[in-house]
Order: sequence, then C-alpha cells, then structure tokens
Amino acid sequence: MSRMLRLTRRSFTLGLLVLACACKGESKGSGPAEEGGKKGRFVIGMSQCNLGEPWRVQMNADIAAAAKEHPEIEVIFKDAQNDTLKQRAHVEELASAKVDVLLVSPKEAQPLTEPIGKAFDAGIPVIVLDRAVLGERFTTFIGADNKKIGRAAGEWVKKVLGGKGKVVELKGLMTSTPGQDRSAGFREAIAGSEIAIVFEADMKWLEPEARKEMDSALARLPKIDLVYAHNDPGAHGAYLAARAAGREKEMKFVGIDALPHEGVSYVAQGILDATFQYPTGGREAVETALRIRKGEKVPKTITLGSRRFTKDDVQKGGEIIE
Amino acid sequence: MTEHQSSLQTPARRSPGKTSAWHRSSLARALFSLALVLMLGVIFPAEGAFFRLGTHQGALRQASVVGILACGLLPVILAGGIDLSVGSVLGLSAVVAAKLSIHAGEPAWLSVLLVLGMGAACGAASGSVVAFARVQPFVATLAMMVFARGLAKTTSGGTKVATAVPGPDGVLRYVEVPPLFRALDAQVLDGSVATVTLVFLAIAAIVGFLCARHRLGRYLYAVGGNEEAARLSGVPVRATKILAYVISGLCAAAAGICQAAQEQQGDPEAGVTYELTAIAMVVIGGTSLKGGRGGMGLTLLGVLTIGYLDKILSINAVPEASRLMLTGAIVIVAAVAQKNS
Repeated sequence: MSRMLRLTRRSFTLGLLVLACACKGESKGSGPAEEGGKKGRFVIGMSQCNLGEPWRVQMNADIAAAAKEHPEIEVIFKDAQNDTLKQRAHVEELASAKVDVLLVSPKEAQPLTEPIGKAFDAGIPVIVLDRAVLGERFTTFIGADNKKIGRAAGEWVKKVLGGKGKVVELKGLMTSTPGQDRSAGFREAIAGSEIAIVFEADMKWLEPEARKEMDSALARLPKIDLVYAHNDPGAHGAYLAARAAGREKEMKFVGIDALPHEGVSYVAQGILDATFQYPTGGREAVETALRIRKGEKVPKTITLGSRRFTKDDVQKGGEIIE
Repeated sequence: MTEHQSSLQTPARRSPGKTSAWHRSSLARALFSLALVLMLGVIFPAEGAFFRLGTHQGALRQASVVGILACGLLPVILAGGIDLSVGSVLGLSAVVAAKLSIHAGEPAWLSVLLVLGMGAACGAASGSVVAFARVQPFVATLAMMVFARGLAKTTSGGTKVATAVPGPDGVLRYVEVPPLFRALDAQVLDGSVATVTLVFLAIAAIVGFLCARHRLGRYLYAVGGNEEAARLSGVPVRATKILAYVISGLCAAAAGICQAAQEQQGDPEAGVTYELTAIAMVVIGGTSLKGGRGGMGLTLLGVLTIGYLDKILSINAVPEASRLMLTGAIVIVAAVAQKNS
C-alpha cells in the first residue's frame, strides 16, 4: 500500500514537472534582468496573447526580424496561449525583470489594463499592440483600423465591378470586433451603388467552414460576381469550392490580412484577385521602442497604414492605401 | 448456430431474439431522425437548392471527413471506450501529409503509408495506456489530444503547410499541388461523387466488416458488454482494446490526408472539435456510449443525419447563433428518440 502511495506521489511530481515545462511558454530568457540597460544592451519584453493564429506568429516574426537589425536588442518572447491570467502573470514577470521596453498584445482590455498600468507607473515604457487597453496608463498604442481596411476593400470592389454586381460575403466571427468592422467598412463603401450582397454567412475565420458556406452559395445562386471574405483563408476556401464546381472563372475573390505565406502568396499564384493587408505592427513596435530609448516623444496612438496587393503590383510589394 | 457460439458472440447481451428486436427498433429510430432532418430540407429548400444534385454531392463530401472519424470511433465505443484525440490526430496527419507530399515531394504511396503508420502509432499509444496502465479512456485520449495538437504545431512551425514553400533565404517558392491531393479532391464517376466520399464509404465497409463479421468484432462487443465476463471467456481484452484504438488512429490519419487534400495545405489547427461531431454521429445512430451495442449501419445513418442537418442550415443561410441553437435542439430530439431502446 505504501509502495503504491509512493509510486502515485512520484508520478504526481513527475506530472507536475512536465506540466511546469509545458506551461512555461517562453522561447528565450535566462535572467536578462540583472543586465538590462547595462553594457549598452537593450531588452525588450514581448507578451503575446496567443500564438495559435498565423497572424500573431507573423507579428512575433516581424519583431524578431526588426530586432535582428540592431545587435544591441534582446527580445524576450512570452506566449500566454490565449489565457488572460497567464498573460497577466507574463506582464508582471517582465515588469519585475525591469525590461527596457515592454510590448504587449493583449488578449482583452479590462483584465490587462491594471497590470499594464502598474508596469507603466513603475517607469517602464509600454507599447500596446493591436488591441487597446482602457485608460491612459501606457506609452503608445500601435494598431490598424479594420473599418478603414474594410472600406478600402469596398472601394476597390466598387471600382472593379463598375459599381454593379452580386457579392457573397463570408464573414469572420460576427461576435468579434474585427469581423464587425470589416463588414461595416465594406458595406459603408458599397452603399449607394448597385452592388448587392446576395449571400452572407459566418465562416468563423476557418477555411473549411468558408468552403462549406461557399458550396451553399454556389448551389443557391446561378451568378456570383465577387466573393469578399474577411480573411485570406476564407477567400481561399471559397476559391476551392468554386473551382470544384467549375465556376472559379465566373467571379473574383478578395481577402484580408495579406500575410506573406498566405494572402500574398495566393495573389501571386493567381488564386485571389486582391488582398488587403492587416499589418502586425511588429516592425513599427521595435522602431518605436528605439525612439523611446533615444528620448524622443512618441504619439499616444499610431495607426498603421495598409497595403493592397493585386496581380499587377504583388511583385513590387503592393500599393499603399490612401 | 449452436448455443455455445451464440453465447460467445453476444456474451453480455440479451437473448438473440430480443437483441435483433433491439437492433430493428434502433434502426427505425435512426431512420426517423434522418427523415426528420430531410423533411426540414423539403420544407425549407432554399429556392430549390435542396433539390439540386450538387447539394447532395456537397453534403456527402462535407460529411466524409468527419464520417471517417466516426467510422474509427465505432470500434472504440463498442468496446466501451472513447477517443477524444481523433481531431488532433487529424490535424497532425494533415500537417505531416502536406509536409511529405508538398514540401518533400514524396510519392503518394509513401506519404500515405507514413501518415497511416503515424496515426496507428498514436492509436497504439493511447490504447496501450488504456489497456496496460488502466488509465480512463477519457483521460488517456485527452492527453493524446493535447499532445498531438502540440506536435502538429511544432512540426508545422505554427503556420499552414501550403504550396508556398519558404526557402533557406526566406524567399517563398511556389510548387504545384501534388497529384495525391488533386486526386482526392476530384469528383469521379462522371463527376457524380467526390473521391473523399468513396474513401469514406470504403473505410466504412472495412470497419463495418470487422465489427459485424470478423472475430475482432465479436471481441469488441464482448469487451464493451462486460469486460470481466469477456476476460473469463478467453477474450484477449487488452489486445482487443489496443486494436480498437489503432483502428481509430488509422481512420483519423486517413481523414487528415483527406482534409489536407481538400484544403490543399496542412493546417495545424485542422480538426478542432471534430471529435465531438464524430462522437455525436456515432451516438445519434444509436450506438451506446456504454459499449457493447450498435453497428456500422447505424453509424452511417448518424453521419447522414448530422451531415444533412449541417447542409440544410447552410443553404438556407441561417445565422450562426440560430444554427447552434437549432443543431442543439435537433440533436436532443434525435438522442431522446434513441433512448429507451
């Protein structure tokens, strides 16, 4: 019996160890605290809310690439795996390690406002990325405007369709702000024209769902002029559905996000007709951090510009919008 | 059939007469659920879209991948277990299949063989933990579910494995969609049926044969009905359990290849929550989660019921929120119809 107990205890400890290793979720960071700021080194702490999405993987990659150009920069990445409390702990850890600049892409505003505010009050410059927090206790916010991007997509669609046509809208999750904004901006831009949204469905940002919904749109509608999807995988799924039905030549496909290995690749391969970039701001965050280090004043809000990629300009890196 | 054989075949069930009566009524109830859903399509045909052939081809194609998972789950559930890892193993298989056939350019047969081997290994691992360490199937396969998802993300580097291949200098290079993926995503027999649907039906036939006609099937029912009685009657309980999970892993791997072929890429996030849909398909058909009761015919009806429900809601462009509520309500109606059998 006691042997049994011992065994159980041992396996329990082992399990805890494994769990601890699994939950650490950081890719670098053996005590940067002691040396932060000294010897001309510049330590940036980056708290990412979730690396399950390709777009956030890209954000981290952009930060790493920008940091690589400055040998004095060291970046500590933390991934909260979509857990608010874990991210809170990460922000507190980075703050107590006294990093030179703290980057946070928060999972949600309310619960992270306080820990970010505390770090800011302790004198650490804080750059908030993509999703805002409440109040004013941070140095600067860097993000893009989904509504503006949706509007740009709508304007472009109006132009290529000659102000008239039938559009299928494959929406991201309509309970999410990006989904609502990308839809609202698009509808604002096409309002007053003869473009009609003849079929709309939530595809939950997922490619297989988009293909399913597009199958239904194809079954119902004898003619479709254009598919507007709230992300590039959605537009790709719609293209595959149309191609399976032998109707891909009949319509145009437009997506959003323009990640290099997704949307931009699809445009380069002739699968999508256009994609609109939703910039990660990773590079801008590192540049802003360096400006803060030099003692420059940075604006409270930096709104990122977007690019449009079409077949004609994809090779030269797209066209800047507005 | 002698008295002895029949008792070996159904060691923990009622007498043969009652069993077949149970089976008949269960079949009738499963058919009732399917008819209910199809009637929904007749009442709301979405401007006639429901009566077009393409809609039905689409419904079958879309149900195929999860249907393959359901086929694999059947032996596990018959043996009184559960496999929550099938969705993650699907994702892992999709990534590995894409890595092998798109990035490495391996021939189709080798990619398929390697991915199936990996799926079988995942199944054997969960099966061994269940059979030898006597860990609850729910816990053992939950662990495999998390592990396989992590492995899928590691293997893919967190992004989708697509036809844009990053070179060593970071510049993207575009490759053709491999013939394996093209073949699986095609419509065959004069465009009347998708290849993945045929794959699904073939797998259903094989697993159905194993469950209904093969010795392994009798063992599965025996273990699921009463494990102790099965052991005392000389059934190799551990081997039976492990084999059930191996079949499940094999099916999940096959489903992963089909998923990757239809997406033309390996998505490490593919198959999230598919395990729940697959379990619902098996159970709505009338297979008992307690084990020992059910069959492939019933499972196929369950696959059709859920597949058509999904399709009918989609062609009618029902908003997401109402879709979730309707699906929940109809699953309850079908489950209650299956009860008391």
